[in-house]
Amino acid sequence: MRAVLRSLAVTAALGAMVIPAAAQNYPERPIKMIVPWAAGGDTDNIFRPFAPLLQKHIGQPIVIANVVGASGTVGAREARGSPADGYTLYAVHDYIHLVHYAGVTDVKYSDFEPICLLSATPSVLTASPKTPWKSWAELADDAKKRPGQITVGATLGSTSHIFPALIEKAAGVKFKYVSYEGLAPRMNAILGGHVDLTDSNLTQKGKVDAGQLKFLAIAAEKRDAEAPDVPTLKELGMDIVYAVQRGLLVPKGTPAAVRAKLDEACGKAAKEAEFADAMKKQGTRVSYLNAADYGPFLDKLDRESKTIMTELGLAKQ
Amino acid sequence: MRLGRDSFAGLIFLSVSLALLVQSFGLPQLPLVPVGPGFYPRIVLIFMAVMSVALVVQDLLARRAGVAGVGAPAQPQRAYGLVALSFAIIALYIVLLPLLGYRIATVVFVAAMQATLERPTTWRQWAVLAAIAIGTSALTYLIFERYLAVLLPRGSWTNW
Amino acid sequence: MFELLGHGLLTVLEWKYLLPLFAGTLVGVIGGALPGVTITMTIIVVLPFTYGLDPLQGLATMTGVYVGGSAGGLVTACLLGIPGTPSAIATTFDGFPMARGGAPGRALWLGIWSSFFGGLLGGLFLILVTGPLAAIALEFGPWEYFSLFVLAMAMVAGLAGSSFVKGLLSTAIGLLITVIGTDPIGSVPRFTFGSEFISGGFPFLPVLIGIFAFAQIMSDIEKVGVPKTPGAVLGAQPSLAVSHLKVIGEILGRPFLLLWSTIIGILIGALPAIGGSAANMLAYDQAKKFSRHPERFGTGVPEGIIASESSNNANVGGSLVTIMAFGIPGDAVTAVMLGAMTIHGIQSGPLFVSQQPGLAYGIYAAYILAHALMVLILAAGTLFVLQITRVRLAVLAPVVLVLCVIGAYALNNTMQSVYVLLIFGVFGYALVKAGFPLAPLILGLILGDQIEINLIRAIMTDDSLLLFFTRPISGGLLFCAALSVGLAVWQHVRHQRRTPREEAHDF
Repeated sequence: MRAVLRSLAVTAALGAMVIPAAAQNYPERPIKMIVPWAAGGDTDNIFRPFAPLLQKHIGQPIVIANVVGASGTVGAREARGSPADGYTLYAVHDYIHLVHYAGVTDVKYSDFEPICLLSATPSVLTASPKTPWKSWAELADDAKKRPGQITVGATLGSTSHIFPALIEKAAGVKFKYVSYEGLAPRMNAILGGHVDLTDSNLTQKGKVDAGQLKFLAIAAEKRDAEAPDVPTLKELGMDIVYAVQRGLLVPKGTPAAVRAKLDEACGKAAKEAEFADAMKKQGTRVSYLNAADYGPFLDKLDRESKTIMTELGLAKQ
Repeated sequence: MRLGRDSFAGLIFLSVSLALLVQSFGLPQLPLVPVGPGFYPRIVLIFMAVMSVALVVQDLLARRAGVAGVGAPAQPQRAYGLVALSFAIIALYIVLLPLLGYRIATVVFVAAMQATLERPTTWRQWAVLAAIAIGTSALTYLIFERYLAVLLPRGSWTNW
Repeated sequence: MFELLGHGLLTVLEWKYLLPLFAGTLVGVIGGALPGVTITMTIIVVLPFTYGLDPLQGLATMTGVYVGGSAGGLVTACLLGIPGTPSAIATTFDGFPMARGGAPGRALWLGIWSSFFGGLLGGLFLILVTGPLAAIALEFGPWEYFSLFVLAMAMVAGLAGSSFVKGLLSTAIGLLITVIGTDPIGSVPRFTFGSEFISGGFPFLPVLIGIFAFAQIMSDIEKVGVPKTPGAVLGAQPSLAVSHLKVIGEILGRPFLLLWSTIIGILIGALPAIGGSAANMLAYDQAKKFSRHPERFGTGVPEGIIASESSNNANVGGSLVTIMAFGIPGDAVTAVMLGAMTIHGIQSGPLFVSQQPGLAYGIYAAYILAHALMVLILAAGTLFVLQITRVRLAVLAPVVLVLCVIGAYALNNTMQSVYVLLIFGVFGYALVKAGFPLAPLILGLILGDQIEINLIRAIMTDDSLLLFFTRPISGGLLFCAALSVGLAVWQHVRHQRRTPREEAHDF
């Protein structure tokens, strides 16, 4: 028994010695990318076309693992608990800041190191075809007359909740929230008229053209070329620019040499024309930042998220 | 009156549901949701408690009616020891999986399980057993890791 | 329309499309047949290969996987008694007893041809009724979904063999398992006792694999060393030879059963968020209810196999209706297909069929051809399947268990799911030993989250609980649920008076 233990100890020690050398040869085996939402969801649709491009530049297969559950926090926890060796990437968006302040999870963005920011998907305020409003002005009038009666489908405490909450605050109205987690169930509910409003994005344009949905306003700086008729919230007098920002992180403690390799490969992959095309189909634009710029960007986003959550009364005391 | 198997099961589920029912009242309220996270569990738990009571009552009534040997029908002899041993081997395999890594742990597991269920007597049978163990591990590893892009657990002791 | 379909068929018959379709169907059949490997997992695995293909090639591959996987589950269900996928659960109830009873070929081919006919009928509906069906599905708000799920559970608990009370208790256990972990609305941990392990909840698939695979394998291990009762296992040379004409006759000789199971499959498929796992159980229950000899169900009657297998392939047609017309996935598999469509830049939705007729009818054609390919693959693969059944338990048990472990692990790529697999393996075996039916538990497990979410959504939308009864569709569904429970209790009482109590051995 003692001999077995000793040999195990030796193996463990050898293993420990191997690690620094491993950073030099990184990557020598496939890399896992944790996407904390379901396959086929909008986050998955953004990282899936990116994976083969990153693979091309890093030289090892990138394997997507959808680790879903509890508003994406199961995946966050899994990523945080993974070895910091560069073989686990974590596909993230703004939710990581929001769920933390909502008190859903103790996982924080600062449990990770930034690699790169990839994309920004502007939010679009979308109404059910069964609602009478043709424009934001009509909705605002109605909402003032019936406070707390117009229903909004949203993932509570996440981006689809924050976006309408910002509008509530800017316009001085009150909505009623109904929990619909994920874009697909929200679309079903809004097509059937079971909720009045929701946050969506330009991928739903086909349904608007068919008269099944109404885009009321887009939360971008400028009108989008894909949907030139949709006014921006700024035009409508609300100073709201809101987009879902997606990027890649690695667990804290990942060696700097490994991060540098990932950063470089990520930059090359994000500049591929193929990626820009894929993002356009997702109602998204490429919004690349390298590791050095992504870090401060995340710090700023986190401060903003904290302010928003506190102001909206959603932050846990 | 001795309790039957069904009464036992009913009492276990009754106590579980009552204990959790008490717990459910300690769950916090959410600001936006009118009924709170304990609302639906309470419905399920009350339903479960009622059904557990019904099961106990049904069992007691059946016994009183004098149906002989309800709880213990004549059963052929069963290898329950082997079942317990199999569960133990599987549990050990699952514990060792992240430590030894998929490839090694699977060889050991397949070999141990085979030897438990049908002990080889000749060296030839041992060789076949070993071949199946190594073959299973190698083949599944190859298919899943190489072709199906499923990354199997690597051992934290063996780094392999 | 038929011109378009004909054109679609000619297109898909080109090598360029036939080859990916064939590969997809083959992979689907294998994935479906392997316990622990679901159609969802198979299609996710296939997805990266489709990126390099053109849109129709990619969609044909995935349609093949979906059709093949829905049929492939029956092979393991009939020959090993373990459902290869959740959509073949009810196939085990009669398929396995029939195979054990000395007619493995008949069980297998009843399943295959039922899948074929069910699937083709589903395809007919897919092509003809896409519009109207989807319109109905859209009218379903949270109230209707909640009531529909209640109806489904009421119906399946009635299926639970000798004890209705145990069936309902089993349902409650299934529902309770979904309650444990993080609450689906506000992510509040429930009944986790402060444990990180429990707070992730118990994912459905590891629980399902654990309960079914372990209960089956351990029940077999129990009998090691015990003299075999005649017909308890498949003979050394199980003959899969069977008269196809006779089997087809058996299926088509029950047109109402076939049609009704198909309709159930299509409807469940068209409704988002339910999926094939509920379709086959509901269809099985219906077959039992309408049968003149319900007590023979579970002993290897052909009706059980026909109902289960025709409904789960028809379910594929129903799910495709919803994604083609609305861009809304009915289950995880179609969610992946939808994702692939958007990656190819195809806007699925109301305009899809009119704007992309080539692609839409190409998918219809691929769906129909996949059924023919599925039959061919299974016909040729029978010998291979035979090998599985001939393997000794000492070899089969560890290999199947390894595949179950991989299946649980690969689901989330975490050991957590594997621990869940083990826990529920032990729990499921204990339940079987205590005489509890497992099917209602599984249904509770499948529907649990959705029931809660829809209940809470309904209350969040309008705090009047009366709406569950006053909304016509919802009220009607609840009325049917009450009727179903009443009927089951009445049948049970009548049955108990006539015959002495017996133990339930089904699972």
